[in-house]
Amino acid sequence: MAQVALKDVNKSFGKTHVIHDVDLEINKGEFVVFVGPSGCGKSTLLRLIAGLETLSSGEIVIADRPVMDLPPSKRGIAMVFQSYALYPHMTVFHNMAFSLDLQGFSKKEIRERVESAAKVLQMEHLLDRRPAALSGGQRQRVAIGRAIVRNPDVFLFDEPLSNLDAALRHETRVEIAKLHKQLDATTIYVTHDQVEAMTLADKIVVLKDGEVMQVGSPMELFNKPQNEFVAGFLGSPKMNFFEGALTGVSGGNAAFSGEGIVSKGVRLVSSEKDKGAAARLGIRPQHLAQDPKGTLAGKITLIERLGTETVVELLTDANTPFRFATPEMVDSELGDEMRFSFEASKAHLF
Amino acid sequence: MMLTRSFRHILLAIIVFIWVVPFVALVTTSLRSETASKTSGFWTAFTPTELGHRFGTHDKGGTEEFLVMTGNIFERLNQDKDSYQITGDIKSILFKGRVPDPENEGKTILEKRLVFAGEVMDVRGGDFVFQTNGDFTWTFPEATAPRPKNLDVFLDQDPIFGADAFIEVLFDNKNVPNALISSFIVTIPATIIPITIAAFAAYAFAWMSFPGRDWLFVIVVSLMVVPTQLAFLPVLQGFSGIASWATELNAWMTDCEDTGTCRVASKTFASLWVTHTAFGLPLAIYLLRNYIVGLPKELLESARIDGANHLQIFVKLIVPLSVPALASFSIFQFLWVWNDLIVALYIGPADAADLVFPIRLQKQLGTFKDQLHLLNASAVISMIVPVIVFLSMQRYFIRGLLAGSVKGG
Repeated sequence: MAQVALKDVNKSFGKTHVIHDVDLEINKGEFVVFVGPSGCGKSTLLRLIAGLETLSSGEIVIADRPVMDLPPSKRGIAMVFQSYALYPHMTVFHNMAFSLDLQGFSKKEIRERVESAAKVLQMEHLLDRRPAALSGGQRQRVAIGRAIVRNPDVFLFDEPLSNLDAALRHETRVEIAKLHKQLDATTIYVTHDQVEAMTLADKIVVLKDGEVMQVGSPMELFNKPQNEFVAGFLGSPKMNFFEGALTGVSGGNAAFSGEGIVSKGVRLVSSEKDKGAAARLGIRPQHLAQDPKGTLAGKITLIERLGTETVVELLTDANTPFRFATPEMVDSELGDEMRFSFEASKAHLF
Repeated sequence: MMLTRSFRHILLAIIVFIWVVPFVALVTTSLRSETASKTSGFWTAFTPTELGHRFGTHDKGGTEEFLVMTGNIFERLNQDKDSYQITGDIKSILFKGRVPDPENEGKTILEKRLVFAGEVMDVRGGDFVFQTNGDFTWTFPEATAPRPKNLDVFLDQDPIFGADAFIEVLFDNKNVPNALISSFIVTIPATIIPITIAAFAAYAFAWMSFPGRDWLFVIVVSLMVVPTQLAFLPVLQGFSGIASWATELNAWMTDCEDTGTCRVASKTFASLWVTHTAFGLPLAIYLLRNYIVGLPKELLESARIDGANHLQIFVKLIVPLSVPALASFSIFQFLWVWNDLIVALYIGPADAADLVFPIRLQKQLGTFKDQLHLLNASAVISMIVPVIVFLSMQRYFIRGLLAGSVKGG
């Protein structure tokens, strides 16, 4: 049974159509991440669920209640903003107690709920401080605490980590993952960072230009991308693409030839394509293997040594750039030619 | 860079000087004695000034005979004075007396000369000697009881200040205290009412969406260009219309006709409140709206998710976070209403006891004429109130009120 269901959701700002026919089901306790490049509508979709924007058409159901006509506070959601949006003139305690106060809870109950939330987030010692006296990470925690005390059906996070520095971002990411396990709360999380998406999500929703590109578990998306966009968006460094043509199609697989590559038994994603059609072969830089007999050849244009990994940028004879990533040392130099082969099962045809 | 910086400092110093001098002049003059304020400029009050005085050596009548008389010139000069005591250094005494004429034996001539401290001078046959601190001795060869002698003395008067003028304007009659009270009666509501209305309006203009909002805002802001003076006639007509209507209502509903108390005044404190509110609102709405619209949107959205309605958002978020803007506008409005002469003159109450301070000051120009120290004392009293208001409001100009709410805020 879906905790959150979106049916044919559309949103236009004036003449700009920003969300196109989004259908989505989110199960209870699931951690769902909306990911996509900036301007893809992921934040707008979140704000539609929160009720901060009104739908142009469609239906949103939260915990079996249609919520289109309900104000944000009645939708059973709590939201954590990218900018934290703490009330600067109130102490941490009052920041967290604000919503409970408005709902008319007794002083005793407010205190209990705020203190238990503070305990979960290990910030009992911060309750009397003002936001100005807190560090970025602590502010983020207060913002999360403010969401927890509301005891919502769904937690909404709008790029909550993008204001933190790299070290703190990793730490807070781990904390959010732990917190989700602890509270077992349905969570919708918006980010443009694929690492956050891959590590946190039970289910990733990839968006592009207001349309859902693919929905699935992180590994499903990584291993079986349904289109070129998803394939290119997830994974770092980006997937390599080579132009060519299909030389044979059988079942879900196809043979490909182009840019010196000749490969058979590759998963054909664009199943509508037939023999002879132009196609693109996608292979991740990590899935290339150095092989002197390999059919894929390129001249080195750049070597990035990251310590744990070496990324080599190359150029084929047809001037198609591609990358090769390996945990091993590479002792070639700029201008050298390298040859590669790959397993057909790791490649995709679009 | 250096040059422009020191140039800026010099310019700043000049501006500060220009603005401070009149204030210093007012305060100084109000603290001086009447004579001093009439006879010399305020800038002479800080350094010793050469002044002439006349003193009598002793009181008239009933002096016993003596050989040596000692006394102090300052004690003699100050014996009838409570304030503005004469102090300083005695320079000289003007000796006037007949002395033997060196050219014509047996005859005398009138001699006028300055006698300095320590020199012996013949006064009524005795030797008169004085010191710079005012001590004098008057020695006679044999015991005598001379008549008092008036002597003209020149001295360097030390700077001297006193609060006599303030005591006089504040306590001699009720004019200034009444004016102070009237000004407060006018100013406090005329500040609080517009700022309250404007804060609500500014929130609506900034964060509530309703049809025609932007056009309405443009109209409100464009009302700023209407000067109060231009609207005196219609405003007065309006008030007198209301007053005559109220008078009729009064006559119809009560038995005031028997006592002849039906008339409702059109020029009242309330008229001033309404007028100042009306003409203060456009600027207030404009300033506050521009401040409130700059508050982080996420804060208000967060409050909406927390379940706050517009009124709760306004009271619990907007007002506390707009304190600097509210404080700065209330200072504007307070100063403008406090210093206002013309609106009070046309629309305010005309009873002597209800006159506001600027009108009282204007009237004092006639009554005090050349009593500069009194005029200045009144002016200083009227200035002190806004200064106190400004200084006490200044602590609300808090920088970084939004610190910690949103990143970079």
